[in-house]
Amino acid sequence: MNWKLSELQEWDKKIIEIAKSHGLDWFPIDYEVCDYYEMIGHMSYHGMPTYYGHWSFGKSFERTQQFYNLGMTGLPYELIINSNPSIAYLMRENPLYLQVLIMAHCVGHSDFFKNNIEFKNTHPEDVIFRFNAAKKRIQSYIEDPTIGIEKVEKIIDACHAIQYQIDRNNRPRLTDEEKREQLRGTEITKSGLILFDINKVPVSPDHDILGFMIEHGKHLEPWKIDILEIVRDSSYYFMPQIKTKVLNEGWASFWHYKILNELNLPDSMHVPFLKSHNQVVCPLPSKVNPYHLGFYIFNKIEKEYGIEECFFVRENMNDISAIRQFISREDCENLNFFTYSEKKDNVSIDEVSDEYDWKEVKNSLIMTTGINNIPVIYVDELLDNNTIVLRHEHDGRDLELTYADEVKHHIKDIWGGNVKIFTEIENEKWEI
Amino acid sequence: MSKFKVHESSGDRSAQDRARHKKKIEKAIKEGVYNIVSEESIIGQDGKKKIKIPVRGIKEYQFVYGDNGSGEGNKQVGSAKDVKKGQVIKKKQKSKKAGGKPGNEKGEELYEIEMDIEEMSEYLFDDLNLPDFEKKKLKQMVTEKTKRSGYRKQGINSRLSKKKTMLQRLKRKKAAIKNNTYDPETEERFPFHQSDMRYKHIKTVQKESDSAVVFFVMDVSGSMSKSKKYIARSFFFLLYHFLRHKYNKIEIEFIAHTTEANVTDEDRFFNRVSSGGTYMSSGVEKVIELCKETYHPNSWNIFTFHCSDGDNWSEDNKKYADSIKELAAMSQLYGLIEIGIKINNDISLYNFETVSDHVEHLSSKKVKIVKIASKTDIWEGFEKMFGGLR
Repeated sequence: MNWKLSELQEWDKKIIEIAKSHGLDWFPIDYEVCDYYEMIGHMSYHGMPTYYGHWSFGKSFERTQQFYNLGMTGLPYELIINSNPSIAYLMRENPLYLQVLIMAHCVGHSDFFKNNIEFKNTHPEDVIFRFNAAKKRIQSYIEDPTIGIEKVEKIIDACHAIQYQIDRNNRPRLTDEEKREQLRGTEITKSGLILFDINKVPVSPDHDILGFMIEHGKHLEPWKIDILEIVRDSSYYFMPQIKTKVLNEGWASFWHYKILNELNLPDSMHVPFLKSHNQVVCPLPSKVNPYHLGFYIFNKIEKEYGIEECFFVRENMNDISAIRQFISREDCENLNFFTYSEKKDNVSIDEVSDEYDWKEVKNSLIMTTGINNIPVIYVDELLDNNTIVLRHEHDGRDLELTYADEVKHHIKDIWGGNVKIFTEIENEKWEI
Repeated sequence: MSKFKVHESSGDRSAQDRARHKKKIEKAIKEGVYNIVSEESIIGQDGKKKIKIPVRGIKEYQFVYGDNGSGEGNKQVGSAKDVKKGQVIKKKQKSKKAGGKPGNEKGEELYEIEMDIEEMSEYLFDDLNLPDFEKKKLKQMVTEKTKRSGYRKQGINSRLSKKKTMLQRLKRKKAAIKNNTYDPETEERFPFHQSDMRYKHIKTVQKESDSAVVFFVMDVSGSMSKSKKYIARSFFFLLYHFLRHKYNKIEIEFIAHTTEANVTDEDRFFNRVSSGGTYMSSGVEKVIELCKETYHPNSWNIFTFHCSDGDNWSEDNKKYADSIKELAAMSQLYGLIEIGIKINNDISLYNFETVSDHVEHLSSKKVKIVKIASKTDIWEGFEKMFGGLR
């Protein structure tokens, strides 16, 4: 550790001053200094200071450590969680200039968490408490001699398999009864022209599979329902981060760059800062680097529409809507985006961002960004024999069947009854 | 102003979850053990030979997009200057094995664990115990020996393995260069890291000072198909290394039988095709004969493992049961491994009467009957044989 805490405090003061002068508005930040081993530990649990135990986090730890030891990946420059106050980790081994950069970057993230509309239902004020309580409850099920670790693990395994199959639109969940109530009030129902069965379960497609099972799983033991709720709560907590990865990283990078340039760093820190910054926002040949794209987007918006518009985007948009609105042909060209895909005997480029194909490139960009990488599956119907019927909204991309089949078994593990999944494979209807 | 604090170590927070993950991998290794034993010859291994055990990563399944093995994937987006439409980025390697084993499918996380046979034995067999002995006290003397046992990440300096440590650092350096986290052109040092250190590991082992003889007996009549022999072979492989792990000295005899039994060698034992009927008793009697001649029960621990497909000529059943009784009285263990027919979609014989039904009543500490339906049951069957009484 070749710096002192007091130095961090001094830089922190300056960073805060500059950030405030630009109108940033963030949660207070608690920084924790830790070593690389502890850092990997925190990373495995998505940065949360407490999280329920599950082997998958142990696996994640082993892999990260293996990669780190082989020099294959640096640890992330920053790890900060959406809580009030925000908790951020600083790695002891990092040099001072890097800590300063990370702190400025964290201010950007915390501002984004606090202001972006996607995060408004994440309740950052009590998230630590919620996760801690969940951890304790799950531990108590593990220790309960009538339940035990094997059963608990089986249910968590299953919940993880469908953890991101939740409503993507940030709306509060309506129960079937509430949906029916709404429908009864509408003209179309009153007029007797109903085209569908109002008593069907669910009344309309339910994308929140965990929520559906919680609502209709009267036959499930309370501890199972509780685990479903715990995993579902954490899914809804993390979903906004999946939806705003590009903007969130872009916003944080946009601000660390501005702030550090205003800090009047001595050359001995300024040069390595520029080097690190360029590494962070550099393009990658095989995938979209969210730092690269996000940094580009905010710089473009500032240049073309002014800083006010930047603040509007950080408040009201997510990755998909921002890409749709702001990425033009010229941007695709500037960003050197191209599409590629695996063919039978090679991997080759399908389109580059020229005047003919840039729209296709942009479309692929949207299709592969964050949440759009997760297939959309919804509960279509619960049959009388306790069979759950799921449907996949096919968008041209087929499901990987071996995976879907395993997920089906996971859902059965929770539900007990039968599960059917309908999709399309090579343009044919398919039942899994 | 923000708050700063130095993290006070609350212990190793992921230790428990890592232990749980490790357990899952170990289980996967044991279940996958049939993969390794197929190509190894049973005897004549010095225990140092390296074997690779493929372990399927403990996968986490979710709904994902995929090519379902077609080799044609969905479009991805990348970023690079001066690329052209149609340009090939990567040539695919032709799959090496025809009929390709699944293993390199999308998202397949394949751990490959390399260890020598001795390590594997430790790993697999340490929890299992040999059946109880009625041997005379003298024979049960246990000796303690020390032996080298691989390398560990922790240890005392005097046991530092310079060679292994250097290799670790080199590995890390190569990877760092490849990933642009270290530039060899600069003056910057690439120091040893604590995680590079490898220490020779020495452990004390207890061994029965006595010696053992193992009889591998197999029904080689026409009904023992190749796939059943494959299972028998895997099972014998495990048995051999298990006993070798526990004993100083071990002798092996292969006995093949149809209605008559012969002592044979390993190669013929597995590969010779015979036809004809089956007298299970003939194999057991051959063992008894050999014990009387060569391996006297007073100085040898005697183990007999008899693989069969459950098909015995009915007139032999009584004689077979009698011969088991006789052998059990003079030896440590008689194990009957009945290899089922659920392989290759044959009709299951489980609905029919099999030879084990006639000797089931003899089950005891010294006579164990294990049924194996398919190759994935091998380890389970093995555990049943040694992991306590059913």
